[in-house]
Amino acid sequence: MTALLRDNRRLVTILLYLVGLLVIVALFAPVIAAQRPARLVQSGITGLLVGGVYALIALGIVIINKASGVFNFAHGWMMLLGGFLFYSFFSVVQISPVATLALALLTVLMALTMIGWGRLRDARVLGAGALAAIVITMLMLVEIPLLRGIVGAVCGSVLIGLAAERFAIRPLIGQPLFAMVLMTLALSEVLHGIEQMIWGSVEIPLSLFAGIKDLGLPAPIRFEMFDSNVIVRTELLIAFALSLLAFVAFVAFFQFTSVGLAMRATAENQKLAQSVGLRVRVILGVAWAIAALLATVAGVLQGGATSLSLNMPLLALRAFPAVLLGGLESVPGALIGGLIIGLVQEYANLLFPGTQAGTELAPYLVLMVVLVIRPDGLFGQKRIERI
Amino acid sequence: MSANIRPSGVFDTAYAQDISINRTRFDKFLANGLFVLLLIVPLLTIEGPLAANILPQSWIGVLNRIAIFVIAVQGLNILTGYTGQISLGHAAFMAVGAYTGAVLARELGMTFWIALPIAALVTGVTGLIFGLPSLRVKGFYLAMATLAAQFIIPWLLRYPLEGLTGGSRPLSVPEPTLFGLSFAHENAMYYIIIPMSIFLSLAARNIVRTRVGRAFISVRDNDLAAELLGINVFSYKLQAFFLSALYAGVAGCLLAFESNSLSLDKFLLDRSIEMLAMLVIGGAGFPLGPLFGVAFVNLLTQNIIPSVIPTLKQVLPGFLPFINPINIDAALGPTLFGLALMFFLIIAPRGLAHRWEILKIAWKIRPYSH
Repeated sequence: MTALLRDNRRLVTILLYLVGLLVIVALFAPVIAAQRPARLVQSGITGLLVGGVYALIALGIVIINKASGVFNFAHGWMMLLGGFLFYSFFSVVQISPVATLALALLTVLMALTMIGWGRLRDARVLGAGALAAIVITMLMLVEIPLLRGIVGAVCGSVLIGLAAERFAIRPLIGQPLFAMVLMTLALSEVLHGIEQMIWGSVEIPLSLFAGIKDLGLPAPIRFEMFDSNVIVRTELLIAFALSLLAFVAFVAFFQFTSVGLAMRATAENQKLAQSVGLRVRVILGVAWAIAALLATVAGVLQGGATSLSLNMPLLALRAFPAVLLGGLESVPGALIGGLIIGLVQEYANLLFPGTQAGTELAPYLVLMVVLVIRPDGLFGQKRIERI
Repeated sequence: MSANIRPSGVFDTAYAQDISINRTRFDKFLANGLFVLLLIVPLLTIEGPLAANILPQSWIGVLNRIAIFVIAVQGLNILTGYTGQISLGHAAFMAVGAYTGAVLARELGMTFWIALPIAALVTGVTGLIFGLPSLRVKGFYLAMATLAAQFIIPWLLRYPLEGLTGGSRPLSVPEPTLFGLSFAHENAMYYIIIPMSIFLSLAARNIVRTRVGRAFISVRDNDLAAELLGINVFSYKLQAFFLSALYAGVAGCLLAFESNSLSLDKFLLDRSIEMLAMLVIGGAGFPLGPLFGVAFVNLLTQNIIPSVIPTLKQVLPGFLPFINPINIDAALGPTLFGLALMFFLIIAPRGLAHRWEILKIAWKIRPYSH
């Protein structure tokens, strides 16, 4: 009997999975059958749309993990910071020119000194930096809110990404793992404090998609299915489309540009990348900046679809199950994982109303199951360990 | 380690001497003296039996809190410091202990003395369940699994078990009694908490010196090598999870009975982060680490940060005009705590206990430098 089991391990595993699946189906089938079909379709659509933002958050986490081997717990707060910055530049009419100039100067300074302070001795570099700072400041003060918002948020998120890598992560290279975990947690505390200090703890509506009615799009979109209405919020739909667009754009950046190639090489093998002449330090900085940028995009889209509040980082925590479900090193995994977690969340909310089951329980249950059954995720690399 | 450096002329003549925790007479005197001093403290406060107004009453509450969190962080130290498994769900385990103790006392009328060990055991078993993923994962992955515990456990306590726990509403806890004596007052709870804390700290210290403890350390240092040496890594990881959750359960139960009321807000993710911070600031993998960490973080969050907030509140809005003065009180706490934590991680990543060891060695070998 044991020999039979041992020889057919694969088969036995698959059979066990099937049994588990059947049990789950048998448990949930009555609950699902009791629901109206239109509600199921409704939840499915909402889940997918919510999942788009999860995918974007997951991509940011995957990029940092691939580049520097750090799991960034502060991603949610970076996301909210980006959203708030965008809000400030987008919605606030009077923006202080001094603060804007300071933001631009700091960002340029951080970008220039990524390799070392020595670069600043070069007069040409200094001049170019000053010029760039002034141009950015001008862009942030023009009268087009959207442009202002985008430049401001990009500038701020690049600054935060670079600063986080430089002052928090880099000093800890070679330290034990939990020091690194704690560092990203400390970073999230600091960002939390800063955000609360500047923007307060009140929910702020970000009227990013207020113009869709003028474009002639119906809001919300309704259509008939199974004799009842299915409602799709147009803001969510647009946010989803833009998330997917951003996702594709970033993946294309990694696939088709030389910086992307260098980043992939560094992720593959840091020492080898260094030995062929890649500046690993710069690449780590760029990875953090890009991840912060991704967080900002997700924050702005999520803020536009719902609103900006201090609860948003909890959303990013729900993206962690998405990351692990897809596989910690896998970019397509981030997309699939994000969509699945979105679906799971919405269906759990539908089936167990009034208990926050979707937002507070289901993603983490998925996480536990993934960790026990398939810790590498759906598309992650199998890790081979050597002593 | 400084334990190996003794004043000249001190030799071990018996095995009992070799394995004792306090190796010199002075150490013993110091330890016992400190214990007696600690026991005297409540007598010198205004609400003590002598009504002597020598020490402020607020000390008792602070010492109680510190002692309770020392127990919890000792548990975390066994898991994270010695076995190398990161836990982000320690506050949730504390919640299990606290609610088990409270519900047993409320619903079944159990006395505190029976409820406490049962609560600890229940928490230990919960810890075992959430330790199961450690069979296959480690590092960040395991941090994720414990993060899942941090969300699943409070959810279970809040919704399905609402009839017992009162959900999000605070739950009142009966006071512990012993032979008709009531332990309702914090001065009385002090005599339960402090000896318990010292006993469990010594127990943790001794567990680490046993076969099990050495296995824990080998798992932390290199789990593959440990496995090749014949150590059942999974079993020891589970034991570490069990012990750690046991400590958390005791701490949670004590916290519930000490404050006589219980709410889930005390056991959220930020509390877990705070405990991990206590451990790392104090020194993970050092027996004294939890004490230093808890005391320091307590000092930081209760005394240092509140004392600098008024100054910063005056100064900051002048420098940075975009700061919203209404929110500055609530926001400076996490900012300063996070900055202090970052500072400590960069300056002293091995913790205060490591500094303390260095200091002790320097003192013992003076006047030579090494």
